[in-house]
Amino acid sequence: MGMDSTLAVQLLIQGVLLGGVYGLIAIGLSLIFGVMGIINFAHGQMMVMGMYISYWIFVLLGIDPYISLVAVAAAIFILGWLIQYTVVNRILDYPEAMQVLPLVSIGLILENAALMLWGPDHRSPQTALGLDSMWVGPIMVDTSRLIAFVLAIIITFLIFIFLKKSNLGKCIRAASDNRTGAVLVGIDVDRIYNMSFAIGAATTGAAGCLLVPLLPISPHIGHDFTLTAFIVVILGGMGNLLGALVGGVILGVAE
Amino acid sequence: MEKKTVTRAGMNRRTFLKVSGAAGLGVASATFGVPSLLRAAPKTIKIGSIQPVTGPLAVIGQGSRLGNQLAIDYINANGGINSMGGAKLELVLGDSESKPEVGRQEADRLINEGAVVLVGPFQSGVAMAIATLAEQRQVPFVMDVAALDAITQKGYEHVFRVFITAGGLVAGALKYYKTVTEAAGVHPKRAVVTNTADPFGKGMSGGFLKMLKGSGLPVEVVERIQYPLGIQDLSAEVARIKAAKPDIIFPISRIGDSVILLRELYKQRVDLMGIFGPGSPGWYEPEFVKDMDKLAFYSMTNVPWINPESPSYQRGNAAFLKASGKNLDTNSAYAYTGALVIADALERAGSTKTKDILKSLRETNYADHPVVGGAIKFNDKGDNTGALTALVQIQPDPDLLKRVRIVLPKDFAQSENIIFPAPQLWER
Repeated sequence: MGMDSTLAVQLLIQGVLLGGVYGLIAIGLSLIFGVMGIINFAHGQMMVMGMYISYWIFVLLGIDPYISLVAVAAAIFILGWLIQYTVVNRILDYPEAMQVLPLVSIGLILENAALMLWGPDHRSPQTALGLDSMWVGPIMVDTSRLIAFVLAIIITFLIFIFLKKSNLGKCIRAASDNRTGAVLVGIDVDRIYNMSFAIGAATTGAAGCLLVPLLPISPHIGHDFTLTAFIVVILGGMGNLLGALVGGVILGVAE
Repeated sequence: MEKKTVTRAGMNRRTFLKVSGAAGLGVASATFGVPSLLRAAPKTIKIGSIQPVTGPLAVIGQGSRLGNQLAIDYINANGGINSMGGAKLELVLGDSESKPEVGRQEADRLINEGAVVLVGPFQSGVAMAIATLAEQRQVPFVMDVAALDAITQKGYEHVFRVFITAGGLVAGALKYYKTVTEAAGVHPKRAVVTNTADPFGKGMSGGFLKMLKGSGLPVEVVERIQYPLGIQDLSAEVARIKAAKPDIIFPISRIGDSVILLRELYKQRVDLMGIFGPGSPGWYEPEFVKDMDKLAFYSMTNVPWINPESPSYQRGNAAFLKASGKNLDTNSAYAYTGALVIADALERAGSTKTKDILKSLRETNYADHPVVGGAIKFNDKGDNTGALTALVQIQPDPDLLKRVRIVLPKDFAQSENIIFPAPQLWER
């Protein structure tokens, strides 16, 4: 292989692998939008919270982000539930412009909470596999990216199965499809909404864990990821979960 | 995008409140106060400090304000300004929010409140706006940190700069690069310059490339790589670096992208003799040194720096540590220096009249400061002829705080030993 084609393949692989994580971030956003028609402008900041919790667990307990992922997802799940329960459920019927402000505010609050708790420094802990790479001839495959990609695909797949097969997943889809209809057949829609927002939040928290070995954490990187997720969702189609994954990969390669 | 707009609207409201508050204060002082300029023997002398204490540079701005304040506190604790009957100094506070127009408004307000000298403001854009105002209002302005050459090129009489100019910074980088390569007897042939594509990164790398070309040094820049500020992934850029087969990298980065760059250089196994920063953050901050550990070793950066051995630094650092829990760094140390220089000028002037302060500032010869550099003297443009950069290298030491060492200039060096070429990142 010539120099240029090696470079091209290298860039393609790196892009696809990172795109998987972008996809995972975006799936949360897409799920929340699909079910409630709300755009979660605090999405990136919620992810940053996940990154910090994962960082904390790593520094204090020495547990690798890939392992703490479950705990972090649970923590962000609770955060998401609380946000939905206290704020978002109250603004569902408001005009769209008025839904934006509370969510942007939540983003600002989360960002500044991170600033207060952890300070403005860029933190980048040295995780076990943080510097590993594998070589296929002249092509380098970044181990952290590969793991992140595989886990992102697995999580996406699990969410997909959950929505298709489980009772709760069916209720979520019902509420998404027709709110009034769902209420009429006896679904507790508020609870379903809490659950959807919380799941959306948990996926972005999990994505945050996958990024900890890859990039430095600072309180202000949330915006960029909200934007990234937004672009991915638009690429993949609003509310379309598999589309989000494909959109993520497209963006990863395009970058 | 939508989000950005909303944030900006929030800022505007805040600005509005500040401005209306300032207007209120202005009215109040016009009604009740006597401008301190007219007082014969003031008991307190007001110095206006404008720093970016809120907004994107809030943390640095707060450190700079504290640096200004602690210098004033030190002077007051030692009897104030003796030549004016022990008059005390008072720092009146302004916040630029990192915006030139706000910095200018704040400076204007502080002058209305009686500030006889201004100090600040960390950013060149804001400094430019304040310099113009200071010239109009005829109030001396001592810039503690601001590097853009153009600020002092307009022939302003009221503007002085303690910090090094951008031109001086780049000249320092080439001087030290020459010293390092000649001492090692190793001359890298191929170089890659990387920079963030913001005004700072572009300006700095543009200036560096130009001066490097004219320097006659036997090194050719084979690739220049620019990427947006705040980038989260540099794998593509590093793949291009690797393809360019450089011997050395000259990175102009910010905190954050240096971490990503270094990790990618490791993962992609890019062979290098070393990393030499011409003058940017990202390579010596405590968090960077801690997190990167061995990967951070041997990278060198040319940078305006503290002089940890100086009595002034030790005094300032003790106070800074007590007040903030952090060490006095380059920015806060220059802020400390700026306020000390003003106090020194006031002491020699024995008056708060602009004319006397200006005369006294022009005669400044101030060596008892906490930064690497000679005695502070101002040339006819107002630039500090004693300003110097230092070359710092990260060297192995079990104590994290002792890893960042001055290696040049020799008079200030904390380590005799400059390690170049460095072992490859993955062989440490």
